[in-house]
Amino acid sequence: MPREKKRRAWAEEINASAAGGGATLTFDGTQAFGNEALHLWRLGNGLTVLVLVDSAAPVVAYHTWFSVGSRHERPGKTGLAHLFEHLMFGETESLGAGVFDRKLEESGAETNAATWVDWTYYHELLPADRVKLAVKLEAERMHRLVLREPQVASEKEVVANERRFRVDDDVEGLANELLYKTAFQEHPYRWPTIGWMQDIQGFTPEDCVDFYRTYYAPNNATVVVVGDVRERDLLLAIRDAYGAIPSQPIPPEDVAPEPIQTEERRAELRKPSASDKLLIAFKGPALGDADHALLTMLSEVLFGGRASRLYRSLVVDRELAIDVRGWVSTFRDPGLFECWVTARESRTATEILPVIDEAFSRVRADVVGEDELARAKARLELGSLQQLETAAGKAEQIGFFEVVLGEPAHPFRRVDAFRRATTADLRRVARRYLVDGARTVLRVTPERLSTPAEAAQ
Amino acid sequence: MRAARAQAHSLRFELEGGGLALLEPSHDVPLVSLVVALRTGSASDPEDKSGLARIATRMLRRGCEGLVAEQIDFRIDVLGAEMAVETSPSTVAIHAQVIARNLDALVELLARMLSTPTFPEDELGRLKRETVSEIVEARDSDRVIAQKAMQRTLFAGHPYGRNAGGTTGSVPRVDRSDVVAFFKRHVVRGNIVVALAGDVTADRVPALAARLLAGVPHGSVGIDEVLEPTMPSGRRLVLVDKPERTQTQILLGTLGTSPHDEDHVPLLVANAIFGGTFTSRLMKEIRSKRGWSYGASARASIDRRRQAWILWTFPAAQDVGPCLKLSIELLEQWVAGGVTAREVSFIQRYLARSHAFDVDTATKRLHQTLDVDLLGLPPDYFNGWVAHVRAVTAETASAAVKKRIDAERLLAVVVGTAAEVLEPLRSAVPSLSEVVVVPFDAE
Repeated sequence: MPREKKRRAWAEEINASAAGGGATLTFDGTQAFGNEALHLWRLGNGLTVLVLVDSAAPVVAYHTWFSVGSRHERPGKTGLAHLFEHLMFGETESLGAGVFDRKLEESGAETNAATWVDWTYYHELLPADRVKLAVKLEAERMHRLVLREPQVASEKEVVANERRFRVDDDVEGLANELLYKTAFQEHPYRWPTIGWMQDIQGFTPEDCVDFYRTYYAPNNATVVVVGDVRERDLLLAIRDAYGAIPSQPIPPEDVAPEPIQTEERRAELRKPSASDKLLIAFKGPALGDADHALLTMLSEVLFGGRASRLYRSLVVDRELAIDVRGWVSTFRDPGLFECWVTARESRTATEILPVIDEAFSRVRADVVGEDELARAKARLELGSLQQLETAAGKAEQIGFFEVVLGEPAHPFRRVDAFRRATTADLRRVARRYLVDGARTVLRVTPERLSTPAEAAQ
Repeated sequence: MRAARAQAHSLRFELEGGGLALLEPSHDVPLVSLVVALRTGSASDPEDKSGLARIATRMLRRGCEGLVAEQIDFRIDVLGAEMAVETSPSTVAIHAQVIARNLDALVELLARMLSTPTFPEDELGRLKRETVSEIVEARDSDRVIAQKAMQRTLFAGHPYGRNAGGTTGSVPRVDRSDVVAFFKRHVVRGNIVVALAGDVTADRVPALAARLLAGVPHGSVGIDEVLEPTMPSGRRLVLVDKPERTQTQILLGTLGTSPHDEDHVPLLVANAIFGGTFTSRLMKEIRSKRGWSYGASARASIDRRRQAWILWTFPAAQDVGPCLKLSIELLEQWVAGGVTAREVSFIQRYLARSHAFDVDTATKRLHQTLDVDLLGLPPDYFNGWVAHVRAVTAETASAAVKKRIDAERLLAVVVGTAAEVLEPLRSAVPSLSEVVVVPFDAE
């Protein structure tokens, strides 16, 4: 029986079974994911299920992606999406505190979660024969989470400590937060996903219940399963566990578009640090924009690896810096092209900025060399393949591109875009995005280089 | 359907001249990982020139016959490859990964680098300055500062106390003759293990390895045996003073286990109960009950000799005293009271079932085989892991903790702002025999 026909027959058989609260399972077709087949399923309550059978190892990656991130918060309540990343490991109506983690650990599973501007996802990596445990537990916490004062208070404290660790005592974290706060004035990308400290400390159980009821619903979620599974058995378990969860009206998004930046913005941060840091950010394209892949390639030419232009110039030849990095933010809405330089001790951002400016002028004026283009293509192809080495890596790619772009196989389209790129394409995006009069420049200056410990003795 | 691998069974190839090649094939993704490892590591660095093994190996990509550093860097990139040097006390290795279609070209390049390195004086100077800057820059990370202070204090006077990356004092002392001498002594066939994982077939390995080592001289090097580390009695506190810390890093360390101890696996099982999982005793008490820290864990490292056992947590500055006090109390309870049969039964299920993730890629399986060879581990260290774990009882696990972990020989390293945290820390450690405050840029 052809694969598609076989899967439609499965759907009929599964729908005929008693369990699942009457939700209808529909087979939505197959997409090529490289040389593999990604099967698209949907439950009547709106839950999207993407399955890639991969028997390379006796493991399974089970990911649950929600279309909710810090962009869905409002001022005064920043960090709420991220707080859920913690709360979701707590008590549910049928599982006591700590039971979720214990059940998974007892099965040898690894579990964690991540939140960013556009999404939140929860992931389990399990021995293949334990996949049904993840189905059961994820369905349970999707609609039966307990959100009372003790649970919320304890996790707020943990998140405050996470913020101290990742931001307040981390120069890079702090600089990144200030960069986005300065570059964005209207769009929610201006606040940090972990939230401002006073917002974190102010959350109430009511805030959490509202947020949970609004965004944690099957019609706002995508389950991605990659691994050594029997697909039919898996789908039966999924319909059984999720079928009775009602869908909810998801409020239309109310995001203010970011006005066009027409001036250079500057900010400075003084912190105890070993050296100057310089961040330059231009407004960049959204992930779904065809220019995104091209600007990513330009970033490789300028910042990627020891043979890149700015590594050679700043780290090797002039010895002004110890590290250079470039990154085009992978967001649903237009984000930033971030350029990060760490100066050597005793060298300054003032010395570094003209060198970068000159490099930017060059890529706007002239096409890059064909050899530089080939180098960037090879590095990006390597990076793309590395993301597909494990079941968890594949699940992450599928879930991320499904939730941000609605295209789970987009990584392969992106590789095609890298292959097609020309030197003229790179000059065009340089001219379009590297606009000096519309960038944000942030300098981190060391407050003190050393502390005499004697004072404390 | 492809066969799923549950254990490392790397293919072994004895090479002419005493070298060894290993292969873990997997054709799922068109990538190949390649490791060229020496049976020599940072423990062999001269005492005043720590960082030599790493610098000497990094000099490989700084010039060879017909190619300058810039050309080597470009070739690596354009092949769709990456290459890095990793150093530990017992081994220094080049780790590369390449798109499978370019494996031959990468081997060709690496063979040239290994057989005709030029060690240009100007490149060595540049690398040393770069290394010193990296060391200084790493001081931005409180966790790295804490780890370095723990290592140099816990293993003071022992090769394990030397930093593999060197210090701002030791790196400038390395000169070209040191690098040349390192290569002459250690880069010989009998001291090299070549390891491949990924999209390459067994029939290609002998020729690839032969090409890679074609210009490498024959010869062998005995393992530089280091002495068993020892630790003075008493409880000591090292406070690394850094301004404006809202949070602290706490490390509690003592000597741990050797892979050859008869109670090695029981100790690791007991440690997993204490601080190895999200539901461990440490996480439950420090994070779940009190919300004091985002994380709390304990780890026993392994090497040829007894390595460190280290507890790690990072509470806010205002909680540092109570958090350190509780950590020590939990440690004392663990040592004195051991673990329960119920805890052992639970963790056995976790460790046995999660073993699937230790071997789910060819690269991970290869690294297990490499570790057995390079660290001189018992042959069944990884492949017998599940059986060894299942054989542990509450009695053997508790006895192992009591025998190996000495809560009275304890070193607490804390990174924080001394003016705020010194006094709470003093009163948090019972029977504290010594307190030292050092600046965060101390080495």
